[in-house]
Amino acid sequence: MSTEKKQQTVQTTGHAWDGDLQEFNNPLPNWWLWGFYATVVFAVIYWVLFPTFPIGKSYTKGVMNDITYKTADGKEHTTHWNTRSLLMKEMQEAREMQKPYVDKIVKASYSQIAKDKDQSAFAYSTAKVLFADNCAGCHQSGGAGVMGMYPNLADDAWLWGGSYAKIEETIRSGRKGSMPGFKASLSAAQIDNVAEYVLSFSGTKVNAAKAAKGKAIFEGSGGCFACHTKEGTGQIAMGAANLTDKVWTIANVNAAKTLAEKKAAVKAVVTNGVAGRDMPAWQGRLSDADIKMLTYYVHQLGGGK
Amino acid sequence: MANVAVANEQYNYDIVRKFTIMTVVWGVLGMLAGVYIAAELAWPFLNFDNPALTFGRLRPVHTTLVIFGFGGSALFATSYYVVQRTCQVRLWGGKLANYTFWGWQLSVGIAAISYLLGYTQAREYAEMVWPIDLLIAVTWVIYLIVYVMTMVNRSQPHIYVANWFFIAFILATAILHIFNNMAVPVSMFSLSSYSLHAGVQDAMTQWWYGHNAVGFFLTAAFLGMMYYFIPKQAGRPVYSYRLSIIHFWALIFLYMWVGAHHLHWTALPDWTSTLAATFSILLLLPSWGGMINGIMTLSGAWDRLRNDPVVRFMIVSLSFYGMSTFEGPMMSLKSVNALSHYTDWTIGHVHSGALGWVAMISMGSLYHLIPRLWETKMYSEKLIFTHFWLATIGIVLYISSMWVAGIGQGLMLRAFDEYGNLAYTFIESVSFLHTPYVVRTLGGVFFLSGMIIMAYNVFMTIFKGRKEAAVLEAKLAAKLANA
Repeated sequence: MSTEKKQQTVQTTGHAWDGDLQEFNNPLPNWWLWGFYATVVFAVIYWVLFPTFPIGKSYTKGVMNDITYKTADGKEHTTHWNTRSLLMKEMQEAREMQKPYVDKIVKASYSQIAKDKDQSAFAYSTAKVLFADNCAGCHQSGGAGVMGMYPNLADDAWLWGGSYAKIEETIRSGRKGSMPGFKASLSAAQIDNVAEYVLSFSGTKVNAAKAAKGKAIFEGSGGCFACHTKEGTGQIAMGAANLTDKVWTIANVNAAKTLAEKKAAVKAVVTNGVAGRDMPAWQGRLSDADIKMLTYYVHQLGGGK
Repeated sequence: MANVAVANEQYNYDIVRKFTIMTVVWGVLGMLAGVYIAAELAWPFLNFDNPALTFGRLRPVHTTLVIFGFGGSALFATSYYVVQRTCQVRLWGGKLANYTFWGWQLSVGIAAISYLLGYTQAREYAEMVWPIDLLIAVTWVIYLIVYVMTMVNRSQPHIYVANWFFIAFILATAILHIFNNMAVPVSMFSLSSYSLHAGVQDAMTQWWYGHNAVGFFLTAAFLGMMYYFIPKQAGRPVYSYRLSIIHFWALIFLYMWVGAHHLHWTALPDWTSTLAATFSILLLLPSWGGMINGIMTLSGAWDRLRNDPVVRFMIVSLSFYGMSTFEGPMMSLKSVNALSHYTDWTIGHVHSGALGWVAMISMGSLYHLIPRLWETKMYSEKLIFTHFWLATIGIVLYISSMWVAGIGQGLMLRAFDEYGNLAYTFIESVSFLHTPYVVRTLGGVFFLSGMIIMAYNVFMTIFKGRKEAAVLEAKLAAKLANA
């Protein structure tokens, strides 16, 4: 309202363009002008306190704003304000919060960690992020793995052993899993019979006559028993899968409906083998404490033994 | 009617019409690409494992089509219109001016196709490979010459304020484009090139360009548009000549410094960061100068909000301009940026400027311009209202969902539990984004449907205009025959 009145008394600049385009000559609004001055004051204070102006090869460092922090090896540094030191200081604070727990966990056994509420909660909280950052890329965020590629960590089956010690060994040193392909040494008919026998381990109804022939190959010329044992229970020492449970990691038998489909899945593995089932080693990339907490985490993901 | 014929001869409207049509065409295509990539982020299967449809390739298609296709064509159209009307002289250059149309449209079209094929120089908002950069440079220099020569030939003693903004935009964009794209082609016949700058200087140059593309292309130029079309549509004088001078020079001077605020918390030296942050704060009131001048010009014409949808577009555009130029300086403070950087808050901020300010002021101006270019009335005023509401609802959905997404993710990424461990994994923050992404897509659909309605309305208006002109000519011919 008041501006309306004011505008009527204010004169235009006296120019006109394109017929009716004109300009009033109103003064700058006061709040605008003082607002602008305020930002200038803000900027000047900012310039005094923080690194701002380049001078030669250096720059003004800012005053009353130093940052003191300790690095992981305990050395103390004091610098002018800068974003990197700020990060170092935050990392130091996080380390200090974590330290009492880490110190205990390094010394504790796995069963002690499991029993101690604080330690197990801390290990879980740390390893959850470690797992997401380092493991979930292959084993997926819930640890369910990918059929045919990365083992499921959330079930009861452990190719390389599900005890704390074995899991730690797997994480620390990595694993190299493989199975030879038999297309050179066995005929298609023989592989067909072996597949019947392999499926019979976990209770699939198969052709008994064929399975019997398969059994002879499995325990004899085929040599399957050398790794998977005559009972088909596998050996964790060499990562040979247990064929008697209903857990399948390469051949997706559970998703197949008919016997023919199940056999096809098994036959593909027997024929071509499995190569490159490598788990990388994490020693050197993760600290001992981190590996320990990850072990604890993975152990409780599924049925740790 | 004789007047109309004379006006047509007096000014080169043909070029303005061409750019106006392309503004609408690129607007629809560019916003369609935007909606599609927004949907891809919510439902990633939409890339159908086709490289050309992936987010990485479609995103520059979206940004190039909306910024340079839609925004650029709108600026060419309005600046050529404004400079002729306010200098009261025909556009200089004739065929040269016509060349700027084809040069610009070709650049935008070839660029979009080249991205789909996977050719990019990977500089944000300057993804075009070097041959396209050369074509743009030539086109732009000719644009500058045409514009300056038209102003030199003016029959008005004074240069109207809109022209200062347009000329600053053309000049600064030329400098930005040339320095940001300095690169050595890998070989004569390779589309790949190697940047002349290295490391952090390269990043710095990229964002000096990137932010000034916002400052000069998307702000100064559209202020030029605002300074002509708002007083024209409102039928009132500009509020303050003094304010326009002061905020013009403050804006032009301060913008050039602030690009580095895109690189807070990176390898960029802290002193550079500080300068960028403080100059961004200093930029707040100069930016608002334009908003004040626009709003105060409209003040006194508030009654027109009720029945003039064009005025609505304009006032909403100024409101979003004011909001995003407040938000921007806040986000450029290092402490706020620590939260907002690398989150969708940035995307939301850009779109409150791009949809709210740039697109809304362009649409308002085009609705003013089009009836005058084709000498008729808009085909449907009702559809302009519909467009206004669809666009406004779209923007609100877009911005608020991106606030939730950005601030939410920012808080999740920095949250610690009581043990000093990160409370969330990165993937948890990503799955949190799904719902806001769906809402954002919906906002985009609203905005796009408004644009499609505008396209329909505009093309119906053009047909109507042509039909009326034909009827008129027939009448004239009949009269002449009688006489």
